[in-house]
Amino acid sequence: MTDPLLIETADRVLSSVATFEAIEAAEAARWSPLIWDAVAEIGLPWISVPEASGGVGGTIADAIDVLVQAGRHAAPIPLAETGLLGGWLLTAGGIDVGDGPLSVVPGHLDDDLRLEGGRLFGTAHRVPWASSVERVAALLDGRIVVFSPAHGIITQVSNVAGEPRDTISFDDGQIEASVIAPEGVDAQALRLRGALSRAALMAGALGAMVDLTVRYTAERQQFGKPVGSFQAVQTLLVRVAEEAVLVDLAVQVAAREAERGGGHFEIASAKLLANEAARLATRAAHQAHGAMGATREYPLHLLSRRLWAWRAEYGDAFWPVHLGAAVLDRGPDELYRVIAEGSASGITL
Amino acid sequence: MLAVPLSLVATELTDDEVRLQHDVRSFCDQELTPQSFTPGLGMMVGLSKAFSLKLAERGWIGMALPVAYGGSDASAVERFVVVEELLRRGAPLDQHWTADRQSGPVINRFGTDLQKERFLPGICRGELCFCIGMSEPDSGSDLASVKTRATKVDGGWRLTGTKIWTSNAMNADYTIALCRSDEAENHHQGLSQLIVDLHADGVSISPIPYIDGSADFAEVVFDGVFVADDLLLGARGDGWHQVTSELSFERAGPERWISPFLLVEAFLREHAASLGREAQSFLGRTLARWWALRQLSLSVARMIDDGLAPGVESAMGKDLGTEFEQSIVADLQRLVELEPSLADQSAFSHHLAQATLVAPGWAIRGGTNEILRGIIAKGLR
Repeated sequence: MTDPLLIETADRVLSSVATFEAIEAAEAARWSPLIWDAVAEIGLPWISVPEASGGVGGTIADAIDVLVQAGRHAAPIPLAETGLLGGWLLTAGGIDVGDGPLSVVPGHLDDDLRLEGGRLFGTAHRVPWASSVERVAALLDGRIVVFSPAHGIITQVSNVAGEPRDTISFDDGQIEASVIAPEGVDAQALRLRGALSRAALMAGALGAMVDLTVRYTAERQQFGKPVGSFQAVQTLLVRVAEEAVLVDLAVQVAAREAERGGGHFEIASAKLLANEAARLATRAAHQAHGAMGATREYPLHLLSRRLWAWRAEYGDAFWPVHLGAAVLDRGPDELYRVIAEGSASGITL
Repeated sequence: MLAVPLSLVATELTDDEVRLQHDVRSFCDQELTPQSFTPGLGMMVGLSKAFSLKLAERGWIGMALPVAYGGSDASAVERFVVVEELLRRGAPLDQHWTADRQSGPVINRFGTDLQKERFLPGICRGELCFCIGMSEPDSGSDLASVKTRATKVDGGWRLTGTKIWTSNAMNADYTIALCRSDEAENHHQGLSQLIVDLHADGVSISPIPYIDGSADFAEVVFDGVFVADDLLLGARGDGWHQVTSELSFERAGPERWISPFLLVEAFLREHAASLGREAQSFLGRTLARWWALRQLSLSVARMIDDGLAPGVESAMGKDLGTEFEQSIVADLQRLVELEPSLADQSAFSHHLAQATLVAPGWAIRGGTNEILRGIIAKGLR
């Protein structure tokens, strides 16, 4: 169940700190202490992390609600990495989450980061905010490994939204902890959690994109009337809203099922739909905004660039094929149950 | 959560609703054997009075209508459960579809006690067949421009005009005709709805061959048909309000996204395994969206039961759902090298031929998607 007070609080705090100027400044500086501190002060990054591990408790669905708000406000902070992903990994390893931001090695095709004799070697790619966090969690060869990026060499890389996604290389690097990962904590589980976190952020960004597009097409006048009064422009606006509604609902159901301990089908579907929306809705929103939407002065890019970036994180091309293979495996007799019941139909991903 | 007043709340079937689903499934397993009927794609695809009578015996027609008139005061979600199960099997529902979905509820909502007593029990028994009486040669999307005229006469009305593109009129007993009863400056005023006996003098029905060769469509001409006063539905001049409320919430039902189900099922049986990655990708994209559209549809039904008015959400469901249905047909055409034919034994080929022919209509009937988008855009402001 959603907690309206939590959503309202997250919305209020993010509204006050994640302003257009603050987000732009964070992109230039690659970190925003202002936004992070405000959010950390009220414990938002540690929602869904048990109190015993240093978190603030709460459900996965609560964490997802907060991520939706973070997406709405384009908040440039490692919220998912600290709670839903890193907090989860550390908790599974019996390691305290501490009180600073965490990052997580998402697992890239070109990664060769590995443990040899309890020391780190090799490279991990696309590590969010690696230059700004003190601790990074990774799944390496069936172990949960925690290390400080300070012991490696960081190459600064950003995604298309200008969010840090750094490369870290180690040559005999020191680690903080290494624990055998319990059953169920593996690359597939991380990929699913990562996908859920990105789908939630994207649902929020899509919602904000609807608001922005409604407002702009009502205010912008051409031919003596608001551009939103033209049927062709209305079609664009409706496309954005429809995709936003569909992704929002899919994320809600996926969070509910994840909270119950499963939900692989729902999570995969939510991310797949969010990825499609990042193409369809973003194109429509930009078209409705005309040239204004392509400038850095107008806030549409804060949302559209994030949708494009998050689309690519934790799987895009991967999900249709992976999901489709599972559908094929389940066979024609079970096809309707998959549509109607999702994971409960017994489909396994 | 969206700041615009649009956030569907996730819902799921309760234990009771799941039990109902199981009941409908067993019933269908028993009654809808491969020998007993030819499955069709979606709604308005076949008529079997015998099947409708059996469904009615189980209490699954007119579910939303009051118990006093033979219904079961069921919820929108319960009706969703029944309709979903029937449609995904391509069951022959034409005998009761329109009466169950539209005519019955609108009579229940706006009709007199006498009208309810006269029509609702027959609808709930599956005996009375209704057709829609809205579109005219010059009035499709602009429904308020209807020209069919009801002239007041002693004891009733004389109805003259033409209704067109009416599904199932040849089999129907009654229609609810939207007509102009009074002159008015605003063309949304002065409209009324009359319940018309299609066997009455002055009614002539001629088939309009449908694109797939079926005889589903018809033109209904009223030539001075006498309609008694007690068959005026609702208030004189309130027809526009009545008709728009009739159309608004039912738009996102399973019939708006389920139509190509049997086609995809046949694809899975006959072709998918040999097609590899491309087929997987199609199935992944299709199933994710299908699942989400069903969640949307279910969520809208739950909102109706909670007393909300999800007009915009419904319209979105129909726009998204029918576009999705059409995209499935196009995707399958691209995937499978095949010249589909209605004459083929292969279910996939037959359904693909059928879907190719009728898919354009999916985004038209019940309000074109363009009109729906206008409604959605208005709701977003």
